[in-house]
Order: sequence, then structure tokens, then C-alpha cells
Amino acid sequence: MTSPQLEFNRELLGKEFPSGTFHVEKEQILAYCQAVGETSPIYTDDEAARRAGYRSLVAPPGFSNLLVRATGRPNIGLKFSATTMHASQAVESFLPIQASDTLEARTRLKDVYAKTGRTGTMVFIVWETLFTNQEGKTVAAVSSSFVHRPRHPGT
Amino acid sequence: MAKENVRYFEDVELGEELGPLVKVPTTEAVRQFCSVWDPEVGASRFTDEATARKEGLPHALLPGIMNMSYLITLLTTWAPAGQVRKLDTVFRQPVPHNKSVRLVGIVTDKNVVDGENRVECDVSLQREDGEAMVTGKAVVILPSRESR
Repeated sequence: MTSPQLEFNRELLGKEFPSGTFHVEKEQILAYCQAVGETSPIYTDDEAARRAGYRSLVAPPGFSNLLVRATGRPNIGLKFSATTMHASQAVESFLPIQASDTLEARTRLKDVYAKTGRTGTMVFIVWETLFTNQEGKTVAAVSSSFVHRPRHPGT
Repeated sequence: MAKENVRYFEDVELGEELGPLVKVPTTEAVRQFCSVWDPEVGASRFTDEATARKEGLPHALLPGIMNMSYLITLLTTWAPAGQVRKLDTVFRQPVPHNKSVRLVGIVTDKNVVDGENRVECDVSLQREDGEAMVTGKAVVILPSRESR
């Protein structure tokens, strides 16, 4: 799917690199829940989470998206002047993330490809980040796709 | 959790509707969301009209991951005892601040895979006139009545 004419650092394709260590704070989970109106007890009430069998407050499934915002990604050196927009994102939760967990993130450049439509050529960059917890278990995967569209005069 | 609040796998029917859930993403809520990952929230396309316009956007917009978080609240409200296993979203249009959005969904499939009770749903975040700005597919794992 990768277009041969695109100019970027191809050595990064498929390569996985460490992209951050995160200590999950209870306050951060609660602030997240308050910002989006999440009210389910296991995400907002420590006692309810314990009664449901968890060690501590559980982070809602979208929480790993937030951590991805804080992960470092290398500059792939794409030669394409454009406006960047978030095109799509998928989050997958395998095990609950809980307060006081320590997560390691590993990120890889999954794909870079171009599509040409009515408005011209667009370039898509796809990243994938995996999170493992302090027990070495993979808890979540996040795939993010960004589209680079050419800027039109006047925009 | 009180048993009467639990949505069981056996009780879910194909075509069952989720929501609607209505939210008004105020500028303050967007700033609060951004501050969870960056306490020093500065001017960005998410928090500042002028910055957004400078970047060629029609207005300041909600972060894509905030839209996803809203869709997840639709799922957790529908099934508080369920686990959202996956949410795959496409951001079709920038979502503006301070205009109400409708969160809706529909059950499209249910099956048991590796002992897990999976319910698949199509979800969307819509403008008041019903046009979808964000669409997605979700998988939610629900408890079974048999394992009560």
C-alpha cells in the first residue's frame, strides 16, 4: 500500500521503539472522567471498583488514547507540505488499566501511503502503540491514522 | 453493581438502539480534557479559534480522542457492567465547541468467541440535524445470566 513516490525516512517503517513510561494516577483518571462525563462507578469510585474485584480505580477504555498523546514519535521526514488532520483511531483494551499501574509504551510506524481524490493527493500516516503493564502483560493497543492534505490558497 | 442495572448478553437483540445521549462540549470542557494530558494548556486548534483558523480550519475543534471518549460513555451508559473491548472510529468532520451533539448506536451482531460474550455495535456522534461527524464500530463484552 505504500506509494513508492513518497519521500520519507523509510527505515522507520515497521520499526518498534520505546515511547514512554507512564505511572497511572487516580487523580488523572478522575479528571478524565469529569471532562467527558463518564460516571460508571468502577471508573469514578475506588470502593465500587474494589467491590467489583479490581485492585483500584479502573481507567476507562479511552484513557490509553490520552497516553498516546504523550508518547514520543520520531519525525519521519515526510516531504509533503500540508495541513494535518486526525483521520481515524482505534483503541483496543485487553486487560483493565488501574490506578498505580506503570505502563510501558512501544510505538511503530505501521504504514505511510497516498490516496488521490477530487481534492488532490492526501498522505496517510499510521502509527500503532502497545501498552504493557508492570507484569509485562499487554493491556491496550492504539492505532492512529493522520491525513496530510494539501493546503489550498486562502486556507 | 445492583443486578437490575446489569445488561446481560442474553437480553440484547440485534437492532437494539443505544442512546441517544446528548452532550454539549463547551470550550471549558475541551480545555479541561486537554489539561488531563497537558496541565499547561496553551493555544491550539483545540482551544483557540484564531489558532484553528490560522491552520486552515473553520473553527476550534474537539480533539478526536475526546469524541471517542464521548462515544465510550454511550457504551458504558448502555452497559455499565460491560467491558468496551474495542472502538474503531473515523473522524469525518471537525466537531465544533458549544453545539450539542447526539451520541447514538445500534447493535449489529452478537456472538460468543473464546468464551466471551461479544456484542458489536455501530456508533456515531451526530450534529443536531442528524448528520454524523464521527462514526465507529465497537465491541462490548457483556456478562451472561448463566454465570450470575
